Formats: sequence, C-alpha cells, structure tokens
Amino acid sequence: MTARVSRRSSLLTGVLLLPASLWYLLLLVAPIIIVIVFSFGESGPTGGYAGGFTSVNYADLAKNVDPFVTSLRLSIVGTILCVLVGLPLAYYIATRAGRRKSLFIVLLVIPFWTSFLIRTYAWLTILGPEGLAGFIGGLFGDDSWRILGTEWAVQLGLVYGYLPLMVFPLYVTLERMDRSLVEASKDLGAGRWATFRQITFPIALPGVITGSILVFIPMIGEYVIPNILGYGRVFTVGSALVLRFLEARDWPVGSAQAVVLVAIMLVSVTFYVWFINRGRRSRDVSML
Amino acid sequence: MADKDLEEILRRMSQTKVNRRGFMAGGALAGMAAFLAACGAGKASEAPASVAAGTPAVPGSAAPSEGLASLEPAFSQEPTEGHLWMYNWSDYVDASNIEEYKKRYAVDDFTYDTYASNEELLTKLQAGAGGQWDVGAPTAEFTPALVQGGFIQKIDWSKVPNAKYIDKQFKGLWWDPNDEYQLPKDWGTTGIAVRTKYVKEDVSSWKKFFEVAPNYHGKIVIVDSPGDVFVAPLKALGYSVNSVDPTELGKARDLLLGLAPHVLALDSDQYQKKLQTGEAVLGLTWTGGLDELIQDPKTADTKYIIPSDGTLYWLDTWVIFANPPHPIAAHAFLNFIEEPAIQAQETVTNAYATPNDEAKKLIPQKILDDPTIFVPQAIFDSGLLESAKDVSTDKLRVEIWAEFKSKIGKA
Amino acid sequence: MTAPATPAAPATPLVAGRDLPRGRRPARDRFGVLVEVWLRGHTWLVYGFLYLPIVVVVVFSFNANTRVTNWTGFSLHWYEFVLNSKEIQRNLINSLIVGLATATVSTIIGTMAALGIQRAPKWFRLPFDALTYVSLIVPEIVIALSTLVFFAVTIGKGGLISNLTGGPEIGLGYHTIVGALSVFNISLVLLLVQARLANMDRTHIEASFDLYGTPWRTFWQITFPQLLPAIVAGFLLSFTFAFDDYIITSFVHGTNQTTIPLYVFGALRKGVNPSTNAVAALMLFITLAILLIGQYLLSRQARRSGTAGPAGVAGMIVEQQGV
Repeated sequence: MTARVSRRSSLLTGVLLLPASLWYLLLLVAPIIIVIVFSFGESGPTGGYAGGFTSVNYADLAKNVDPFVTSLRLSIVGTILCVLVGLPLAYYIATRAGRRKSLFIVLLVIPFWTSFLIRTYAWLTILGPEGLAGFIGGLFGDDSWRILGTEWAVQLGLVYGYLPLMVFPLYVTLERMDRSLVEASKDLGAGRWATFRQITFPIALPGVITGSILVFIPMIGEYVIPNILGYGRVFTVGSALVLRFLEARDWPVGSAQAVVLVAIMLVSVTFYVWFINRGRRSRDVSML
Repeated sequence: MADKDLEEILRRMSQTKVNRRGFMAGGALAGMAAFLAACGAGKASEAPASVAAGTPAVPGSAAPSEGLASLEPAFSQEPTEGHLWMYNWSDYVDASNIEEYKKRYAVDDFTYDTYASNEELLTKLQAGAGGQWDVGAPTAEFTPALVQGGFIQKIDWSKVPNAKYIDKQFKGLWWDPNDEYQLPKDWGTTGIAVRTKYVKEDVSSWKKFFEVAPNYHGKIVIVDSPGDVFVAPLKALGYSVNSVDPTELGKARDLLLGLAPHVLALDSDQYQKKLQTGEAVLGLTWTGGLDELIQDPKTADTKYIIPSDGTLYWLDTWVIFANPPHPIAAHAFLNFIEEPAIQAQETVTNAYATPNDEAKKLIPQKILDDPTIFVPQAIFDSGLLESAKDVSTDKLRVEIWAEFKSKIGKA
Repeated sequence: MTAPATPAAPATPLVAGRDLPRGRRPARDRFGVLVEVWLRGHTWLVYGFLYLPIVVVVVFSFNANTRVTNWTGFSLHWYEFVLNSKEIQRNLINSLIVGLATATVSTIIGTMAALGIQRAPKWFRLPFDALTYVSLIVPEIVIALSTLVFFAVTIGKGGLISNLTGGPEIGLGYHTIVGALSVFNISLVLLLVQARLANMDRTHIEASFDLYGTPWRTFWQITFPQLLPAIVAGFLLSFTFAFDDYIITSFVHGTNQTTIPLYVFGALRKGVNPSTNAVAALMLFITLAILLIGQYLLSRQARRSGTAGPAGVAGMIVEQQGV
C-alpha cells in the first residue's frame, strides 16, 4: 500500500472508531472514575459528595460484608445449578437433535429475548399463595407456607433468567466435539460414565468455564430479581447499593461498595481469561 | 359485569393508598379545593398575607358548603398554561379531583410521575432532574433540605387564597417558620396495626410490640421507611424519634436486630394486603388502607393503635418546584386542592387527615370521629406525638438500617 | 472461544468385539435406554420451565376475572382497558422512542467500531477491547448509579456545564436514557459484527480487489450484505434490551419519560393485578414479534444465499459464542 492510501486509511479508522470511543470515555470511563473519586470522599450534611480524601469508606465496608456474602452465595449456587441444568440440555441439542438443532436453539433464545422483568414478575403468580406455594402448603396442611420472600425463590429466578447464557457456549463447544472420539472410547470398552468423565467433559470444560463466567458475573450484580422475588428480604449488593445511593444519599460509601463489587468481577474475569489462555500460543482470543 | 369489576378495582386501587404520600396529596388537594371555593365566594381582594392566617372561612362566603359547580374563583384566576406536571407519591390524589381540575382550568396534559420515597425525590433533584416538574408533595421535614438545594421555590400566596383554611397548628413550624415554601397537605401517624383475631396479647405500646413480636415469627410487616421504623425502638426506650445519640441508637439497634428475624417483609405499599390475608398479623404501619380492613366484616378485627409510649406524626406538604414549567397551573392547583369540597373528597378517598378546617365541615362524621385518621386533639396536646426531623443521612442510623435490612427474616 | 485441538483420529477404525485386546468385551450398555430417556425428559422439562412464566402471563391476561388466578373465562377486557389508558399509551410511546433511538445509535456506532477495530493498531485495540468487556461486565445497577452521579456532576444543577456556560442546566431526559443504555448496546453490536467479520468468507473480498473493485464498492456490495445479518440482529437485540430496560431507565429518566417497564415495576408494588398481566403480555408480544420477524427475514436471506449453520438473530448469537 502506498503512503497516501495508508494515511487515508488511518483517517478512516479514526473516524470509524471515534463515536464509540467518545461514548466509552464519556459514559463509561468518566462515571466510573467519578465513582472511584467519590469512594474516597466524604458525604455532605444532606447527603451527596463533599470532597475530601479518606479511606474510611473502605474500612467501613468490613462491617458491611453481609450483602456481599449473600450475593456471592446466590451466584455460586446459581452458577452450579446452571451447569447442572444446562449441560445435559446442551448435550442433547448438540448431539441428539439432528436436523432440528436450529429450531431448538431458536426456542432457547426466545425466552431470553423477552422481557426479563415480565418473566420475573410472572413467577410472582406461579410461586405465590395462589400458585405453587398454596399447593405445596396445602399438602403439608400449612397455609402460610411460602416460597416467595425466601432465598430459594431468588435462586430460582436467577437460574431461570441466566440459563440460556450458560447453554449457548456449552452448545457451541459440544457441537464441535469430534463424535468419533466418543465412539472410539466406547469401542475400547469404556462405559458411558467413563466416556463422559474422560472424553466428553474435558472437551466441554472450556464451554463450562465460559458459561460460568457469563452467568456468575451478572448474578452478583442482580437487583431486580432479589427485590421482586425476595420481597426485599433477600439483601444483596444491589439492594445495599440502592439503599446507600437513594435512601441514605451516602454517595461515598455507596461508591466504595460499587468499586468493590466491580473489582470482584474484574478479578473473576481476569482469572477466567488467564485460565483460558493457559497453554495457548495464540493470545488472540475473544472472551465471550 | 366486567365493567363493574373494573370500577371495583379502580375504586380499590384509588383507596389502597397505603403510602401516606397518597394520603397527604389527597388532603392537600381537598384543602386547596376548599380554599378555592372560599376564595371564589367573595373576597377577591383579600390581602396575600391573610392567606397564612389559617382562620376559618370568611363569614358570608356560602360557596364552601355548596357543590363544586358553583365555585367561581373570585380572585382573578389567570388562564393556566394548559399543562401540569406533578411528581408525587403514587395514588396520592383523588382521580375525580384530577378530572375536575383538568376541566376547570383547561389543563389537558396532567402528568403524574411518581417517586417512592423522599430520599428518591431528593436524589433525583440533586442529580439534575429539576426544572421538569411543577408540584410535588414531600414530607415536611425535608423542606429545609429542598430549600437549601434550591429545589423548591416560594409560593405566591396571592394565587393561593384557599390556603387560609389551613389550621393554625400546622403553620409557622420549624421546617418553614415563615410559611413560604410549603402548603400542608395531610398528616397522620405511624403506629401499630394488629389483627386482634390472631394476636391476643396487648400491644398498646412499642415496648409491648417488641416483647410480643417473637410469638408471631414471620408474620410481622413493617413499612420500608427508616424514619418511621426507628420510631419504635427509640420510643420504646423513651428517647426522641430524632435521636442521633450513639448510645441511644446503640440500644435501639439491639431492639431492631432482635426484631429482624421475625419480620415477614418491609413493605410500604402492600402492608394492608398482607394484614388482610393474615400473612401478617402485626405491623409497624401508617393508617393508609387499614380503614378498609376495619370496614370489611371479614377483617373487622383489625386495629390501629397509637402506642402509649409515643410515636411520630408526619405531615406531607405541597411544594412548587424551582423553575416550574407551568407556574400558573401550579399555583392554581394548590388553590384548587384546598377548596373545602375538593379537600374533603381527598380525605374521604385517601383516609388521611386534612389540615384544612373548612374541609372538615364537609367530611362525613364517621371519618372525623375515626381516631386512626383524625387523632384526637387530646393526644396531640399530651405531647405523645413528636414531629420528625430529617435525620436520614446520619451515618450511624444508615449503618443500623442497612444492618437491620440485611438481617430480616434470618434466623 | 476456540475448542482445544482434537487429537488425530486413529488410522484404522477399531471394530467393537473383533479388534479388542483379548479378554475384553465391549461394556454392556445397561443404562443406555435410561440415559436417553432421561436426556430427553430433562430437555423437555427445561423448555417447559423456560416457557412457563411466559405462558402464565399470556394466559391470565385473557382472564375475565379480576383476581389473577381464578379463571372465569376468556376475555379481551383487560387489553381494552390497557390500550385505552392514556397513561399506558404514553408509556408505550416512551418505550418505543427509547428503544428505537438506542437501537439506531448503538447499531451505527457499534458497526462502525467493529469495522474500525480490525484496522486499529495494537496499542489502541487493547484498551478499547478492555473497555468493551468492562461495559458488559459492570452490573447494570452500578452503571445506573454512576451515570446518574455523572449527570448530576456535569449537566445537573450546579454542574460543570452550567458553570462553564452560565446557562441553565440540561437535566435528565431522553438523551440521558439513550446515552446510558447505548453503552452496553454498542458493545453488543460490536461483538456481534466482529464475530461475523471473523467468520466471513474473505475470498469474495479478495476476488473483488482482484477485479479492480474500489474499497468503497467492495464494502457495499460484498462486505456489507454479509454483515447485514449481524447488524440487523444487533439492532433488534439493542431495541429489545432498551425497550425492556428497568434499572438504568429508572435512575436517569426525567419528567414524562416513564416507560412500560417502569410502569410495571411500579404496578408490582401494588400487587399482582390482571391489568398488569395484560401490559406484560403486550410487551412480550411486541418484542417477540419484532425478533421473530427479524429471525424469519434473516433466515430466509441466509437460506437463499446458502450460508450454513443456525441463521437469523439466534444464529448471530451462537456465532458470536463460537468465535
């Protein structure tokens, strides 16, 4: 390429990337920086931010681990449940669905497309006293038996909401698996379980890891599901943040909590990227 | 049949205004209506200052006791801008009053945005959402913060002659000593709600409330409002509801954390539903919605108790936001809502007490006699009721509140 | 993500029973049928689980009764009520405005960025890629709060902008909602189009150059049509996410901009209500219709041009996973 073309080419590249870069800088980087700055500040007499530089907000966080613990617990259990539910499903679609694979995938994606809020809200009816809870309670003879307002309701909602995100990467990985390996394993005398353990699962593992990250990360930060299905009783990091920012107008402490939350996520993702890139020669890998 | 059901639902929805805002708004609107009516009656040239007098209707003005139809504001009401943008608690203004206002002042565009708490309102305003609404109804103790932030403006009383109907005892209070920024809307108390069918013990005080709570594990509902919830332990211990003293708050914290495991939910909007179904049998609530339960024979055992160790009374107030897009319509609305008949309608719908004396004359005696709505003067005078200060940003309180919230329902 | 390298298949296939080392028999597949049944049953259960809420909402929105779960007959009554409500009409329009604006902005900017990023030098790519992922990782609640704070500091009362220009505050409005929602959606479109670019057939492009086609023409006649499925998928998904969004919208909206999700959330506070079911079902129908139409059109186009693999919006999502 001539110098003239490459200069024009750089200009074009710049123009193409400018809007997105501006957007990221203004509406992603700047807000996050402000939050980080606030997290080191002091709150004003009627709330808000009043300048200063202190690390007391972070120190105070040690007193406030409850919401973090709750969120982590819900996310870890939720991720495990997603794997347990999603793996057989992905396996089935990848290996048993044959020509109707596309249909299965589309059917999987459709609920995922439709409104998160609406689907969560629907569980209120299903799990409520007029639905499942009343039914099961009736079996036990206890008519105030409840599912809603407990962590299990929230757990269900989380798994429900994020399951497709687990299934997609699993499906992709399993779909690419060389089927002849499984056949060879069988031919060599290995039973189903041994085949699964030694052939299928290791091959599916990267998909499991990817799916886990895709699911774990959003679950920690969830606010809507615990709020609606948990009756406000299940107090997660999301609830804590809303309390700090909106109710108490204590922006510095809220910011510190937000920073810690994002830090946890970044650490998880970094770990994931490192894990995936282990033993790879090429560094060019897409994370999602 | 479907239409009847629909009406039934609308009626119920408009009456199930559990949050006191709705009640407050209702009261203020009715009050303004009353005010407007009185104004229209004849004193067109009333001096603006007299608006703050709070004296009963001017003699000779027959308008207040007549129906809405005869109301003709005698002070020259300028034509409104045709729009009114309200930012308020949900369901806090009677629907038929809104229609009446729209008709009378040729306002086609009446927007009703909602916030769920004073804190949310303040946060939104702090974040730059101002200049986009005309009127709102925050709670009185937030007036200083709103004034300090420049979020509300002084009310031009010459445009709100009906304000004169507001009872004296709501004027010149600490949050707005010169009565420049707010127009009282309605008021009420925070107290104990109990289904006596299920709860046999005596819960006439906060102290007893805490003692009895463990017996009803998982059946207690509490409003999601720190300012109201702190009332219980602080009063049980004999302290002020506005205490920020670390020792006192520490003791209050112990009481709250002892209560937390037994709480069903923090709910400001649907607590009466939980009480109705028996999901909850005991509650720390406002009066909103309880009236319906008391009327219904199936739940007539419901009682609302003003605790003997004291509680707070709150007042929601109409304010005009700074730089309102439609100031004329805003003032017209405040005036309209204090018209006695309109204000009376608000009280009937919202079941919160009105500060408008003239409107009281038009309210059915049954409601006036209801001690849960119109707290008897004797109780007021006894000092049992404290008015709240805005201590929502006190760090220790916030910490305790966060801790309490995170321990709800946990063993 | 790429699958690990698979070992080479054995040179001569083993035949069960005949080539096994002495004494070894092929393991009897005792559980074969059981496992198959379980796999199938599990799949159906999961799909049932996924669709149950949707079905419940839709079915009960047609309930003639006022109580949500007592079925007393089919009725369009709630839809009538909902569609006639001025408040809901306004909310619907707001939702549509927010959705369309966000989708348009995100698609254009995201596509441009996808095209540009492959030409960018490494020192730029790294941080830019990092930002893309950060925008997808950071929880919505944090984005909502931090963006609100950002707006307060810049365009709010006493903020930077009004201090610098001495003018009135800009305040919150459609622009803030669209601005905040676009961050996530730009990244979304970016990733989808990037995946498509990576999987695209380069030979056509090379052929075009060989035949003296200008870069401009090559782009519009070769590249762009192949990117179209990803672009359309990105547009539709952005629309859906913006249309459905609750958290960010609730934090940064100004007056008169209540959207349907905000309305539903507020109505939820008052308890589950049949009219809310109708609103919810309406939302479902709208987003579903849009995405299904998109899926159908793209599938048809893909089938005609002979592309393999799952096509349409779903296909784009899956393709992205495979990169």
